[in-house]
Amino acid sequence: MLWPLLRCQKARKYLKGTSVSFVLFILSNLMRQKIRTGLTVLGISIGITAVVALGIFVHSAKVATEGLIQAGGSDFIIGRDGSADLTLSTVTEDEIAAVSAYEEVEYVTGALIAIFGVGSSPFFLQFGIEPEALDFFEVEILEGTRLSPGATDEMLLGNSSSVGADLGDTIEIRDLEFTVVGIYDTGASMLDGGAILPLAAVQEYERKPNIVTIAFVRTRPGTDIESLKARIEDDYPNLAAAATLDEVGDIDQGTQILDAVELGISAIAIFIGGIAVMNTMVMAVFERTREFGILRALGWRTRRIIQMVIGESLLLCLIAAAAGSLLAIGLTQLVILFPAVSSFIEIEYTLNVFLRGLIVGVSVGLLGAIYPAYRAARLSPAQAIRYE
Amino acid sequence: MNDQAPVIDVRDVVKTFDKGLTRALDGVTLSIDKGEFVSITGPSGCGKSTLLHAIAALEKPDSGEIYINGEEITSKRDLSRYRARTIGLVFQLHNLLPNLSASENVQVPMYEISISPRERRKRADELLGLVSLQGKEKKRPTQLSGGERQRVAVARALSNGPPIILADEPTGNLDSKASLQVIELLKNIQREQGVTLVLVTHNASIAEAADRAVHMLDGRIESKAED
Repeated sequence: MLWPLLRCQKARKYLKGTSVSFVLFILSNLMRQKIRTGLTVLGISIGITAVVALGIFVHSAKVATEGLIQAGGSDFIIGRDGSADLTLSTVTEDEIAAVSAYEEVEYVTGALIAIFGVGSSPFFLQFGIEPEALDFFEVEILEGTRLSPGATDEMLLGNSSSVGADLGDTIEIRDLEFTVVGIYDTGASMLDGGAILPLAAVQEYERKPNIVTIAFVRTRPGTDIESLKARIEDDYPNLAAAATLDEVGDIDQGTQILDAVELGISAIAIFIGGIAVMNTMVMAVFERTREFGILRALGWRTRRIIQMVIGESLLLCLIAAAAGSLLAIGLTQLVILFPAVSSFIEIEYTLNVFLRGLIVGVSVGLLGAIYPAYRAARLSPAQAIRYE
Repeated sequence: MNDQAPVIDVRDVVKTFDKGLTRALDGVTLSIDKGEFVSITGPSGCGKSTLLHAIAALEKPDSGEIYINGEEITSKRDLSRYRARTIGLVFQLHNLLPNLSASENVQVPMYEISISPRERRKRADELLGLVSLQGKEKKRPTQLSGGERQRVAVARALSNGPPIILADEPTGNLDSKASLQVIELLKNIQREQGVTLVLVTHNASIAEAADRAVHMLDGRIESKAED
């Protein structure tokens, strides 16, 4: 990652004379005030933990949503344009019929999604679908059978469901009893943490007759999917077609809100962390005024003084970024132990999330070092030497 | 005196502080030849250290000129290179960095010249050998005696092979035995390596060890006695 930077002539000129021992020198400067350094690292690392942990959860939630979009081997989904949340989308049976009329469409099936506490699971996802649609909607049955055609009291249970039931057990949902006839796996964590039920039953207890949440669309081979999606959206402006997570924002503004919250927390972490680092570095520069004078008297250029101050600040924040990332991993592993979380998402760690933590750390380091470095660079050597 | 151009040539230098109220240097003119050992004496506040700082380009004179090896330095903007390569400074307080070992302290000025970390370490250890501190390379300043710390400071001043060494009361905080050792060390270096040594001191017996003693009073040079 650093290699392109080091290849840059300007960067090489700036880093000229920098060596491992200079980095160790910087580290030893930080270790002179162990408690202060430790507390600063702790403060920044908490901010970075928040950024990284939130990033991990947001990413994992998006992956879970993406898994739902792509469930059953469909090419894209149809939902109500502008819905605040995916589960609040409503598509009528007439609209499903209209979409299925496109000649490129092989099949369309609607699904009504409901989420509330069932048994020991505080957030139990119920995916209502026509039992006959399971001929097209690809669900791998691990044990038992699929829903019987026309069934109203059967259910399939996801293999990672935390509802505490097994094959043949009966589960009560809204005063209706359902028998578990099969255990399935779709690979979509959100779906695998819940259950598949007959659509009519879910519509009944949810009191949403003739309404589904989203419709899953599979196209015929050779179809230009993007063009078809665009035509559907043109023909039915109240509908939105989404094949990817980026596009699902039209149906589920929650992902956009999560992105905004993530950005906001990162900005706050940079601002507060920057002030904490600036405070630490200003104190360090004040305390070591005489030392800076000595270094200037020994021939150090202002550029090297600036390098040293920025280096100390950056190193402080890099340590905090590493600590914050480790804390975030620990925190997410702890939170995932709660069934309410584990039934919805599967924690996924990506390089991007940790890079964001690193970027926050570097930004905090640079922001916090600007003023102290400026002050250190402006010190007159003779005055600094006389400083008591 | 020899016929060569002086290595340090201070011409009518004036330096004031407190918005001109304190006249630390009041038209000082002084020439020092290559390889010469000159001591500067005088009471506290007479301008000895200010003169040394002006030669080291740590203080900018209000007026006058300072030539080093024939090159005028007072009008130069960036004097870091001059300080790193031409001047070796020894302070009254050793001013070693407490978090670094003796060897690392000696290496500090070498960051400004292009040599490898290995070469830096090698040269630092050689210099510590020169000041009789073999085996103490890894000791921190707090683990050394006052005299040893000052010898590390001397080694640090020599690290970039400067032709001029400026020492500001280098024995001010040492007992008589350690003072004698440091002065002997500086004299040996001056003699063997041919460097120019300018030493500010209160101590008359130390001043007498120099080739020439310069006495200052109220920012002016009173006398330039040949040894």
